[in-house]
Amino acid sequence: MNSITRRTALGAAIAVPAAAALARAAQAAAPTEIELFFPVPVQGMLANKMKELIDRFNSGHEGVKVTAVYTGSYDDTNLKTRAAIKAGKPPGAVIMSANFVREYVINDEVEPFDPIIEKAGGTAAAYIDAFWPALKPNAVIDGKVFGIPFQNSTPLLYYNVEAFTEAGLNPDRPPASWSEWITAAKALTKVSGGQTERWGLMFPATYDYCGWITSGLVMANGGQYFNHDYGGEVFYDAPSTLGALTLVDKMVNQFKVIPPGVSDANACTSAFFAGRTAMMVLSTGSLSFVRDNMKLAYKVAFLPRSVRNAVPIGGASLILPKGNTPERQAAAWTLITWLTSPEIAGEWSRFTGYFAPRKAAYDLPEMKKYLDDHPDAKVALDQLRYAVPWFDTYNTVAVRKAMEDQVQAILSAKVTPAEAIATAQKRADGLLRPYVEQTALKSLG
Amino acid sequence: MATALIVERLRSGLSADRAVKLSPPRWLPAAVLLGPSLAFLAAFTYWPVIRVVAGSLIVGRFAGQTTVGFGNYQRLFADPHFSRAAWNNLAYAGGTIGPSLVLALGLALALRETTRLTGILRTLVVMPLLIPLVAAAALFSFILLPGDGLLDFYLHRLGLGMVNWLGDPDLALGSVTAITVWKNTGYYMLFFLAGLAGVPQDLLDAAKIDGAGAMRRLRSITLPLLGPTFGFVVPIALLNALTQVDHVVTMTQGGPSDATNLLLYYIYQQAAQNDDFGLASAATVISVAALLSLSLISFRTLERGIHYES
Amino acid sequence: MKAEWRLVRLLGVSAAALLWVVPFAWMAVASLRPGVPTDIASLTPAGPFGLDNFAMAWKSGDFPLWYLNTLAMCGGILAVQLVTISMAGYAFARLRFRGQELLFAAFLLQLLLIPPLLIVPNLAILVSLHLYDSLLGIMAPYFASAFGVFLMRQTFRAIPRDYEEAAMLEGASVAVLIRHVLLPLARPGLVAFAIVSLTAHWNEFLWPLMAVSSPRNQVLTVGLATFASGAEAGSAWGIVAAGTFMVAAPLLLMFLLFQRRFVSSFVFSGIK
Repeated sequence: MNSITRRTALGAAIAVPAAAALARAAQAAAPTEIELFFPVPVQGMLANKMKELIDRFNSGHEGVKVTAVYTGSYDDTNLKTRAAIKAGKPPGAVIMSANFVREYVINDEVEPFDPIIEKAGGTAAAYIDAFWPALKPNAVIDGKVFGIPFQNSTPLLYYNVEAFTEAGLNPDRPPASWSEWITAAKALTKVSGGQTERWGLMFPATYDYCGWITSGLVMANGGQYFNHDYGGEVFYDAPSTLGALTLVDKMVNQFKVIPPGVSDANACTSAFFAGRTAMMVLSTGSLSFVRDNMKLAYKVAFLPRSVRNAVPIGGASLILPKGNTPERQAAAWTLITWLTSPEIAGEWSRFTGYFAPRKAAYDLPEMKKYLDDHPDAKVALDQLRYAVPWFDTYNTVAVRKAMEDQVQAILSAKVTPAEAIATAQKRADGLLRPYVEQTALKSLG
Repeated sequence: MATALIVERLRSGLSADRAVKLSPPRWLPAAVLLGPSLAFLAAFTYWPVIRVVAGSLIVGRFAGQTTVGFGNYQRLFADPHFSRAAWNNLAYAGGTIGPSLVLALGLALALRETTRLTGILRTLVVMPLLIPLVAAAALFSFILLPGDGLLDFYLHRLGLGMVNWLGDPDLALGSVTAITVWKNTGYYMLFFLAGLAGVPQDLLDAAKIDGAGAMRRLRSITLPLLGPTFGFVVPIALLNALTQVDHVVTMTQGGPSDATNLLLYYIYQQAAQNDDFGLASAATVISVAALLSLSLISFRTLERGIHYES
Repeated sequence: MKAEWRLVRLLGVSAAALLWVVPFAWMAVASLRPGVPTDIASLTPAGPFGLDNFAMAWKSGDFPLWYLNTLAMCGGILAVQLVTISMAGYAFARLRFRGQELLFAAFLLQLLLIPPLLIVPNLAILVSLHLYDSLLGIMAPYFASAFGVFLMRQTFRAIPRDYEEAAMLEGASVAVLIRHVLLPLARPGLVAFAIVSLTAHWNEFLWPLMAVSSPRNQVLTVGLATFASGAEAGSAWGIVAAGTFMVAAPLLLMFLLFQRRFVSSFVFSGIK
């Protein structure tokens, strides 16, 4: 071989592997980039904490780069996600309100997790068993896993200890039934000079919160509120619903222990912190926020029962929007498994007040210590045994609002409970009709 | 003559390179100058109008099948949310246009002289014009907070109790209206100031000498001369009443129980939340038709004003 | 007696003006009070004061990105508008052509058919042009401005033809004519329009909200809405005030510095 050819050969021998190594390095150095849409539906510095978590994830996972995008409330996150999917630019993963998952399945906008779980070794059934059973109905639709629970809540009754003692009530025996609730609220309401200085009870009645709490009251009154297995039926016009709305109506308009009109979460917490309301119904997701800001002594308790104890699940699950490449889906799965691991789930729970959906999180020593130090966090967990699924139907938001508009009207004494349930049922039926006509009432020829 | 020269220049420039002297058509310069604007106008104003009318006639069913018909309009007029939104919008229009024009005129009359003090006062009133409506909404979310908000805080000092300005269905629309009035008054005041500057002082002086009082002068001289200004401001105020819904989107979301639902918010809800583009299109068509017919009256006044001036 | 009435009127107007500025006063005061003071509503607090709220707001939101996007959007819209309105305004001012009335009426109508009203069809058009979720998509419907065309028509009409004739007789080419005669004389109108356009689009909300879904294309108004009305801010009103200030500050500052320019722009644009 002459010198030129040898040099060429040598050059090639060096260049080719070098190029390949460079190419591989470049490929490895280019992580899969995905976005995570996440909502913040409760008060507290959750958005910052989430960004912090994601930064930690990114530094620990070379092949994936996640951009955490704060997308507002649960309703706003839903809108933004649907818009992104329709525009053909779906985010890699979304923390979606747990009761919207069904709708995404109906509209065929999400991927089931079963194939991914099975590829990683294991069955979907076993995987979802690692989470509290009350969460299953909103996560497993048509037999497949479509949502991996990330944060969950139940509504709690927060109450001011000093107000209780002042009113002659035993702060260690919070109201456990609706009649006790009314008695307590009456005793706690302080009126002076024609103005109410302290209300007995307040609860957020803005869209989403209102429907959530209403569903809890109805189910505590023995009702189903909606068909848990079929997204085309709601039971607004039913005795259990009537009873629940009557309770609200009486407390606002007859006994005047709840302020009239719609109060949002801020108004409730501001009033509670200032001692202007003795009790409030609020998500356990705000537990840490209340703990940090409530300077007066307070406790938390189960939501009072009527026929039975029942509380709706709240919270959000991680979903996999359709339209992502396999690489993006794999990256999203890495993120999801990390976010829902016992350690991270526990950390998020301790920071927010949401309870960790993953059972194993409560076996970790940090969690055990946390529950010992903060018995109020345990209440939400204990209430889980009475948890019922969250309202989810076809066109969930509009059907939910059909009831919420009526409840808001009751809060201002614009309609009676009987009128409210009739109107709500009629409107809901109209909204559900398109789905019903294609399923239960499908033309048989 | 200059026009002819320019046109000649353009034409000769255009045909300079041709061997055979072809004369470009007379309308070419106008076409070139107007082309871009007309293209955008067609694409984003007139084509959308055609589209939305067409879209309103496409009636969708579950799972993508469609027919053509008036079904969307039937559903629209049967929808209590829409009728509520329409009524609310009428009230909102009245509540914003009336007070803000009266206030704007009053302030303009009081501040028509340019002094140091009036300059400062004018600035203070005009400031809301410079911020986005959502910023105003953020500020007023606090101001109107029941109990701890600015308004209730200071009202409490006067002995009044907690008022739920945004959560009481009877008060919510009024609160939203007040925010809009706060935002727009300064803007309208600027136009009245300009209009007042065009009212000849000697006319007013002569009337004063003749013994006409301030009210008389206002009614007989000032207001008529402000005709064109009104003709300009009223359509704008009307347009604002239909399109300024940012604060409803962020503060009340149409609630409580539809008390602050407005037409554009209804359209937004149908399009963004319910994916109901047929309904949203129908609502758009109705809203635009209403706006155009109401503005036609004001534009007639404007036309008169233009001829008056020239 | 005259003087008394005058005083009463002055006091009345001053009271009104002070009332008008209360929201801004609160914004300034509250943004400088860190933490969650119980009397956050007070306009005359005792302190402590600090800049923590601004730091927190800056961290919680994505202000640098929002500023950039908003500047790009407003700048882009204005750049194209200046070209289209000058050309069209000149055509209506100086040229005579068939269909002039009809075309002018078409522009007139656009004053009312503004993009927020036509959100539904415009969104569909954006999607078909592949412009959905882009800054260009937000900008496109505004490139033609009827308002600007009217303004420039008035402006050009007000320029005496003698200037153009003189330049022509001197043998100036069209380009020179534009650069050295028309543009300088039309400057007041262009500046007035620029101020009105920038203000309007900086403060635009509903259309950018619908036209864009990705966070990296958000503008200030949409960012502020997510930031302030989300429960994240919760009761941290000082942070909300600080964030609102950061969105409103640029235009307010410009206004306070160039008051007369601003005011005359808005007024000038109203006079036909």
